[in-house]
Amino acid sequence: MVDNTDPPSETADGTESLNRSEPFTFENSPRAPPSNAPLRRESVAGNNTSRSSTRTSSDVASLVTAFVSGAPFIALVAAVETLIATALLGIGSTVAPLVVALVTFAVYTVDHVADADADAASTPKRALLARRYGDQLMIVAALGYGLAVALAIAGGPLALGLTLLPGAFWVVYASDWVPDVGRAVSTALTAAIPRGRIGVGGGAKATDGGHRHVPRLKDVLVLNSAVVATGWAAALTFLPVAFAGASVEPVMLVVFVYFLLRSFVDAELPNVRDVKADAAVGVKTLPVVFGVERTRSVLYGIDVLVAVVVGAAAVAGLLAWPLVGALGVGLAASMYITSLAGRVNDPAVLGVAPDSTYLLVGVAVAGVRLVV
Amino acid sequence: MIGLSPLSVALLAAVATGTSAAILAWRERPDAGATWLALLLVGQVWWTTFLVFELEASALAAKALWYDVQWIGVVVVPVAWLLFALEYTGRDRYVRPGVVAAVCVAPLITLLVVAAGDPLGLIVADRQVTDTAVGSFLRVEPGPWYYVMAGYTYLLGLIGSVPILQLVRDDARPFRGQSAALLVGTAVPWVSSIVYLSGAIPVLGLDPTPLAFAVSGVAYLLALSRFRLLTLTPAPRRRARQLVFEQLHDPVFVVGTEGYVLDLNRCAAEIFEIDRRTAIGEAATAVIPRYDDLKDEHGDVGPLSIVGLNGRRPYEVTVRDVTDDHGRAIGRLAVYHDVGEYLVQQQRLNVLNRVFRHDIRTETNLIQGYADRLATVPGDEQALSVVKESAARIYELSERTRAASDLFDPVAEPDPPVLMGEIVEEAASTLREEWPHAEVSVGDNVPGVRVPATLRAVVENLCSNAVQHNDADRPCVWIDASTEGGWITLTVADDGPGIDPAERDVLAQGTETPLEHASGVGLWIVKWGIDTIGGRVSFADREPEGTIVTVAIPLSEATEIDETDVESAERSAVKPASRAGR
Repeated sequence: MVDNTDPPSETADGTESLNRSEPFTFENSPRAPPSNAPLRRESVAGNNTSRSSTRTSSDVASLVTAFVSGAPFIALVAAVETLIATALLGIGSTVAPLVVALVTFAVYTVDHVADADADAASTPKRALLARRYGDQLMIVAALGYGLAVALAIAGGPLALGLTLLPGAFWVVYASDWVPDVGRAVSTALTAAIPRGRIGVGGGAKATDGGHRHVPRLKDVLVLNSAVVATGWAAALTFLPVAFAGASVEPVMLVVFVYFLLRSFVDAELPNVRDVKADAAVGVKTLPVVFGVERTRSVLYGIDVLVAVVVGAAAVAGLLAWPLVGALGVGLAASMYITSLAGRVNDPAVLGVAPDSTYLLVGVAVAGVRLVV
Repeated sequence: MIGLSPLSVALLAAVATGTSAAILAWRERPDAGATWLALLLVGQVWWTTFLVFELEASALAAKALWYDVQWIGVVVVPVAWLLFALEYTGRDRYVRPGVVAAVCVAPLITLLVVAAGDPLGLIVADRQVTDTAVGSFLRVEPGPWYYVMAGYTYLLGLIGSVPILQLVRDDARPFRGQSAALLVGTAVPWVSSIVYLSGAIPVLGLDPTPLAFAVSGVAYLLALSRFRLLTLTPAPRRRARQLVFEQLHDPVFVVGTEGYVLDLNRCAAEIFEIDRRTAIGEAATAVIPRYDDLKDEHGDVGPLSIVGLNGRRPYEVTVRDVTDDHGRAIGRLAVYHDVGEYLVQQQRLNVLNRVFRHDIRTETNLIQGYADRLATVPGDEQALSVVKESAARIYELSERTRAASDLFDPVAEPDPPVLMGEIVEEAASTLREEWPHAEVSVGDNVPGVRVPATLRAVVENLCSNAVQHNDADRPCVWIDASTEGGWITLTVADDGPGIDPAERDVLAQGTETPLEHASGVGLWIVKWGIDTIGGRVSFADREPEGTIVTVAIPLSEATEIDETDVESAERSAVKPASRAGR
């Protein structure tokens, strides 16, 4: 077992990803991801290849490590999730998985190129590629996003809006626009209204020279993971609907809630690993505020809630029981991974594993579709 | 999913390329023009996107809605193009909030009219759905403001294209490639729009401009990736050239063909104390120093003696014609080079050349001749004495040459100012030591000021010369100093035979010839030393015999002594009793 205590980092807040397993170093090298990193569904597998393994197995492991830490793997997972949503919704095949995959690929490729220096310690192979082929990767990412937008337009205004939704959420979530606007409004209000007349409401957690300070959403407890989860759940659920031109059905709400809650768990799991780093920089996450044990209990509870919702949907006839069974495989895997949170230091456990559960569910759903 | 028409599929290609190019442009921020190019591309994508929605909608109301939304992209494109072109080519001084706001007035009016539903039919007088072989279009009857905006769009497009067009013939290949790609990217939609407005499109209602954005997108992508647009921008070049003109340490004037001042750099304004704001537009002869001497000249002229901030200095002026691309003269450039330092260096080299070529050679010949004599008459005391004296003169010459070299060493840190009385007393003491038979007198009222240390070498050489070339049995030297009319004057008088007028002329002219030259380097050290501190030196005959050398330095070069100097001044102050020559 490797001691992989995360170094403190300015923005390693553990709330910027659905399946966050961000700053992971094996050589105690400091790593500070950029403060405006995108909504992450990224899996950083680390580079702790066993020295005792043979050269061939080492190479294979190295390739696998490079793949799962790269944008194509994240795009693959996103596409599989969209396919799962399509199957649960019972609608025909659309280009939604391709659009989601292209957007995801573009966003994470841009991020990996931008963060190549910071990623050098945690994902050296990916960082090397990003440095060496940065310009080419940017062109490919831009073309990918352009193609995704063009395909989304073909789906109509709603599909276009849903495709652009993650980007819009990111602006609200990670960029400084919201605090800047909040600061400007606060300044204007302070100038216009006598001191003491402005009440302090929710969301304002600090003052800035007597002015209201509006934090970035990624800095707000629970809300950060909730925003990420909502953005992804909305895109995954409703993009296939928009492309298919399907009418609104109750099952859509079930699917949306499923992805919302699962995504929330996936976002909070890496925070267990990053609890020390987040505490060091004052970022509030569930593990920081409630501790690892209680966080694990909360995440168990959410998984149980997902099971209840899915089961109720099946009882109500909204979901077929075989599909519920397929989702149950993923839930079981998720609960197992949750049980390892805080007990295992392997980065792949909290990094790659949560994403991989969707591949498991995808295989199960495909099996169900083939059999039933 | 919409069942797309072939035209819509083609438009989506424009969206894909435009979006990709916009992302790449946005990534290059804050490089010059990046934000505006990204905005331009977003405008194109916006326009194209909502045209697709318009084409795919079936009802008139839906088509009209998407048509109206397109206006945002329509008005953004020309504004962004103009601002991009200005910033990208280094004309960012025009991209100010006021200019941006002014350029946006017409587009904002357009959007307000559209948002208000265009009740007066200013933009669209009438609209109806027209089914054609390639799709269902919204056929609009343009209102008057539509044509105003079209003209405005072409105007901004044209203005933005002018600076880009200048780069097509640039020496640098990347800029030629960039500008060509940019011009293609903007010209194709522009021509498409003109063709549409001229009614030459056979399909009713089809505006091919957004379709042409596919070509634009590819062109911009090519410029961004192949020609490194925004990574390699010409914007700094323009600024750099301006910076060189402004920061040049030589005064530069630009004169029009009609003889009026068009521009001058900061150095010209400072050195010749010219107000730049009033000088531009004035006759060159009234502003530019000695421009009359340059009127009909080309190449290097001078040196011309001109009085400026640093006093009277010699300037060599380089006059060049400024020509346009067709080789026609459109103005003249006059660059003033201060060659004062160069000329002084030349003087020093000439003097040192003479020292080696003449003085040392003469002494060497003398030594060689008397050495031969000693070889034949070993006990010849006179020959031995001549050899020794000659060797001593060579030694002294080398010492003075080294002193001169030290005096003008540009790298050496200058010595701190010294008390005038200290310099005078040192010189007098040295004379008394080296020439015991000489009578040295020092005046009573040596000013209590500190003067540049350079004056020490000047006074030493003057005193040395006064005794060395004096053939009297008991040479007399009088040293005095005073303050008068903003100058500190120091006089060294002697009762010797006087300085040869030819030698004075050589010093005054500043150049030596093989036939006309000074003796030794002593007087040159005096002249150069005084020149470096902005002083002057003059020679006068003393009655009944001898010479009076007067050295004057500006009082501004001196500093008043402070309390810490008092004790030192008292020590160095020469008491009348002790000043009597021995």
